[in-house]
Amino acid sequence: MLWTARMHIFVIAFSIIMTQNTLQPADITDELLATYETVIGLEVHCQLLTESKLFARDVNRFGTEPNTNIGPLTLALPGTLPKINKKAIEYAVRLGLACGCSISRKTTFDRKNYFYPDLPKGYQISQDKKPICENGGVAISFKNAEGKTTDKVIRFHHIHLEEDAGKSVHEGDQEETLLDYNRAGTPLVEMVSEPDLRSAEETGAFVTEIRRLVRYLGISDGNMEEGSLRCDVNVSVRKYGAPEYGTKVEIKNMNSIRNMMRAISFEERRQVALVESDGQVQQETRMFDVDNGQTYGMRVKETMNDYRYFPDPDLSPVVISEEWLSAITSAMPALPHELREKFVNQYGIPTYDAMVLTDTKEIADYFEAVCNKTPAYKTVSNWLMGPVKSFLNENGGDIALFPVSPQSLADLIDLAESGTVSNSVATQKIFPVLLAEPQREPKEIAATNNWLQNSNTNELESLVDEVINSMPDKVAAYRKGKKGLIGLFVGEVMKKSNNTADPKLVNQLLAKKL
Amino acid sequence: MALIIYLQPHKYFTLKEYLTLAEIQEDLREDGLTCVKLVEHYLQKIESSSHLNAFVEVYADEARSTAAVVDAKLVNGTAGRLAGMVIGIKDVLSHKGHGLQAASQILDSYQAPFTATAVQRLIDEDAIIIGRQNCDEFAMGSSNENSSFGPALNAADNSKVPGGSSGGSAVAVQAGLCHASLGSDTGGSVRQPAAFCGVVGVKPSYGRISRYGLIAYASSFDCIGPITKSVSDAALLLEIMSGDDDYDSTVSTKEVPAYSASLNWEGKARIGYIQDTLENEAISVDIRQRTKAVLDRLRAEGHEVVPVEIPLLDSLLPTYYILTTAEASSNLSRFDGVRYGHRSAESTDLESMYKKTRTEAFGPEVRRRILLGTFVLSANYYDAYYTKAQRVRRLVREETNRFFEQFDFFISPVTPTTAFTIGEKTEDPLQMYLADVFTVQANVVGNPAIAVPNGFDQQGMPIGIQIMAPYFGEEKMLAFADYLTRLNQKVAKKYSENQEV
Repeated sequence: MLWTARMHIFVIAFSIIMTQNTLQPADITDELLATYETVIGLEVHCQLLTESKLFARDVNRFGTEPNTNIGPLTLALPGTLPKINKKAIEYAVRLGLACGCSISRKTTFDRKNYFYPDLPKGYQISQDKKPICENGGVAISFKNAEGKTTDKVIRFHHIHLEEDAGKSVHEGDQEETLLDYNRAGTPLVEMVSEPDLRSAEETGAFVTEIRRLVRYLGISDGNMEEGSLRCDVNVSVRKYGAPEYGTKVEIKNMNSIRNMMRAISFEERRQVALVESDGQVQQETRMFDVDNGQTYGMRVKETMNDYRYFPDPDLSPVVISEEWLSAITSAMPALPHELREKFVNQYGIPTYDAMVLTDTKEIADYFEAVCNKTPAYKTVSNWLMGPVKSFLNENGGDIALFPVSPQSLADLIDLAESGTVSNSVATQKIFPVLLAEPQREPKEIAATNNWLQNSNTNELESLVDEVINSMPDKVAAYRKGKKGLIGLFVGEVMKKSNNTADPKLVNQLLAKKL
Repeated sequence: MALIIYLQPHKYFTLKEYLTLAEIQEDLREDGLTCVKLVEHYLQKIESSSHLNAFVEVYADEARSTAAVVDAKLVNGTAGRLAGMVIGIKDVLSHKGHGLQAASQILDSYQAPFTATAVQRLIDEDAIIIGRQNCDEFAMGSSNENSSFGPALNAADNSKVPGGSSGGSAVAVQAGLCHASLGSDTGGSVRQPAAFCGVVGVKPSYGRISRYGLIAYASSFDCIGPITKSVSDAALLLEIMSGDDDYDSTVSTKEVPAYSASLNWEGKARIGYIQDTLENEAISVDIRQRTKAVLDRLRAEGHEVVPVEIPLLDSLLPTYYILTTAEASSNLSRFDGVRYGHRSAESTDLESMYKKTRTEAFGPEVRRRILLGTFVLSANYYDAYYTKAQRVRRLVREETNRFFEQFDFFISPVTPTTAFTIGEKTEDPLQMYLADVFTVQANVVGNPAIAVPNGFDQQGMPIGIQIMAPYFGEEKMLAFADYLTRLNQKVAKKYSENQEV
C-alpha cells in the first residue's frame, strides 16, 4: 500500500553567483588556507536497533516493503497516544554512560511542530528542555597537519532522543510524491557536539569513533550508506586568533565519512574564498554533491521555521531511578579502550596489535573467541593481522563473512605451534583449503594431503641416504670444505619428503652422515 | 421508492422511565424486560426525536443483535455488569469499524480501526452502543452549534441550545434516547450540557480514565466522562472505565475504588463556596437563588459551609484558553489531508493542499483556536502567553490544593445562565467562552467535578450545581453528590406536600 500525495515539493537549488573578481575555492592556496581556522560542530543522528519504534508497537526494521510497519500511531490516526519504548531509553543511557555524560534522572519530551508530508502527526516528538544526556564527549585519535598522531576530546553539548520521519520518494519524472512511513517513529539519538573540531581529518576521526562506539554498544548498526547514521555538519572559518566564530553553514546529505570529509574540505575553501573576496558567508543549509565534490545552497520555499517547541502533554516525564541506572550500568558491554587494555594485560599482545584488533567489535570478539581455544595469543594476533586480514580485505572487510570458526583457526594454530605441520604449510596450504571448505578439520586436511611434518627418523634416514648416494660429486666437494652445499642436500630431502620433513631434523641427519 | 410498511408488534410499547441501571436490571430479571425490548424502545425514541439532532449515526441493527446476545447471556447467567445499559457515545470516541469524525468535515467518511479503551471496557461489560452523538467540532464549543452536522436542540425547549461540547450526548439522556452517554470534558464539556439538560455529568480526575481512542483537543485537559440520569449510574460507569492502560502514558496506575458500592454518605462535610457566586449579577437570579438554597440546606443539615476567596480564579479563563488552544494547534496538525480524511480537490501543490484542505474542512471556531494556539506558541509571544499561562496553572493548582487541605468540597453553580437561545452567542466568542467560567477550574487543576440537577428556572429550564473534590477524590464526591441529590428530592417532596396542604 502506497500513500500518494498529489503534490510537488519545491526545492529551488541555486549556486552562488561568482563575478570575475571574486576568488574561487580552487584559488585558495594551502598557505592561505593555513592562516584560517576551521571550526566544526556536528549533529550526529543515529537510529537505534530496538525491536519496536520509539513510541509505537510497530516493528522497527530497515528494508521492508513500503508501508508495512505502520500501525495507527505511526500513521497518527486520531485517538492514538505515544508510549515510550524503555529499550530506547536504555540505549541512550548506555551511550551517555560510554561518553561520560551526566544522565538526566527525569527526562522530558517536547513537540517540534512543522508540516511535512513525511511527518504524520504534524510534529516530531523530540527533546528540547531536558534531554536524556548532557555534557560528556568522545576521545579521538587522528593525524595532524604534520602527520603526527594526536589525541583530543570532542565535547558533547547533549544527547537527546527523538523519532525519525518517514520517507518521501520521487520515482522517475512522476509528478506524485510517494510516501513510505516505515521509518516514521524509528528511535534516534541525536548527539550534538560542541564546536571543538578543527579539520576534516578530526571530523572523520570523530564520526569513525562514534560509529565504532555505537556498534560496540550494540545500539545501532551505524551504517551511513543506509542512513542509520547521519551527520549534519556546521562549518565556519575565522582567521587564527580571531575572537569570534565566523558565520556557520550547515551541510547535510553526506552518506559516508569520506564524503563528509570532502564536503568539509570544499566548504572551508569556499568560505575562505568568500571572506578573502570581502564577501559574507551566509547562514544557510547546504547540500553536498557527491559527483562534483561541492556543496550547494538550498532553499525550501518556506521561510525560517518556528518550531513552536512545547512539552508533549501526552508523555509524562521519564524517571530514571537509581535501580534502573545501575542495571543499565552493570549490563554495559566492554568499550574499545577497555578491550585494548584487556588485550594488552590479559593476552600480553603489543599495544599496536590491540589497537588493530579492537577496530571493530566483531574482530575483537573473534580474537577473544580464538584465545579461549588456544593459549598462543600472540600467534592468534599474528594470524588475525596477517592471513585473516588479507582475506577480509579481499572480501569486503566484514568478519561476519569470514567462514572459519574460532575453533578451527585455533586448531590450525595449535598444529603449527606443536610442530605437527610447518608454519608455511599452515598458512599457505591448509588455510586456503579451510577457507574453501570451512567445515573440514585442519588436522584432517593435513593428514589427507600428507602435509603432516615428518619426524620419523628411520624414514628420513633412508631419504638422506638416497640423496647422498645420488650426488657423489657434490658430497665429495662438501667433504672438501664446500659447506654451503648443505642447503642443496636439505632441499633435495625436503623435495623427496613432499615438504613434510622437519627441516631441522634433516639438517641434523645430513650433518651426521656426511 | 417503494414504501414498505410492516408491523413489528414488540415495537409498540412504552417503557417506564428508568432512572438507574439497577431498576432496569431488576426488571430484566423479574419483569419480562429484555435488552431487545429496551433497544427497540430507544430506537423508536431516537426516531421520533430526530429533530433534536442528538445522534450523528445510529447503529440500529448492530444494537439489536448485540441486545439479543446480551439477553442470551442473561439467561445463561454470564452477562456483564452493564447488561441492560444502552449507551450513546460522543463523536470523538473511537469505536472500531464505525464512523468517527469529531463532528468535522475534515474526517469525512473516516472509519475508526480500533476501539477506545473506555468504550471497550463498557462493551466488555455488555453495554450496548446504540450510536454516536452530535457535538461541537473537535469538542470546541459550549452550545453544540459548532457542529458540521448542525446544532442539537435542548429537549426542554427546542429553541435553546443543549450546551456543549457534549450537547448531543446530554440531550440524548435528557430525552430518553438512550440510558446514558459518554462525553468528553476539556473545560466543562460534560458538566455544562448536563446542567443545561438537567442530567448528571462527571468529569473525573485527569488521568483517571485512559484517553486512548479519544480524539485529542487539549491533551493535558481532556477527560472522558459519563452523562447519566443518576449519580449511581455515573459511579458504576466511572468505576468500569477507570484505571491503568498500556496505551496511555498519562493514565494513573492508582487503584480504582468501587465507587458504585460507596454511595452511602455519612458524617459532616466541610464545604467552601465563593460568596460572589451568590451575588454577582452576571449570574442569573434563579441560579443564584437555587445555589444559595442548596448551601442553606446543607448548613441546616449540620455541614460546615464557609465562604472563601480564591483570588486566582479570575485568571482561569485566559489560562485555559491559552493552554488549550496551544495544545489544540499541535494536536490538530495531523489533519492535513495527506493520509486520511478530507483533501481539497483544489490543491495544486503541497502548500495549497495544506491551506485549502484545512480552510475548507475546519469550521470557524476550530480555525480560530488553531490560529490562537499557533500564535501563543510562536517564538515572539511564547513567554508572554504560554510560559506565563503554565505558571498560572501551577499557581492555581497550588491554591486549589491548599483549599482542599481545609475543605472536602467546593460547591458552585455549573453555569452562569441556563440554556441560552440558539444563535444568541454565536457572534461573540468571548460571551460564549464565559459559559465555561465555573467549569474550567477542574480541568486546569485536574480535579474531579460533578454536575447534578438543581431544579429549574422560571422558564422551566434545568439548573445544575457543581461539586468539585480533591484530586482522585471521586469516591467521596460521588457519595456526596448522591446524598445531595436525595436531599434535594426530599426537600422538593416536602415542598410539594406543603403546596398540597
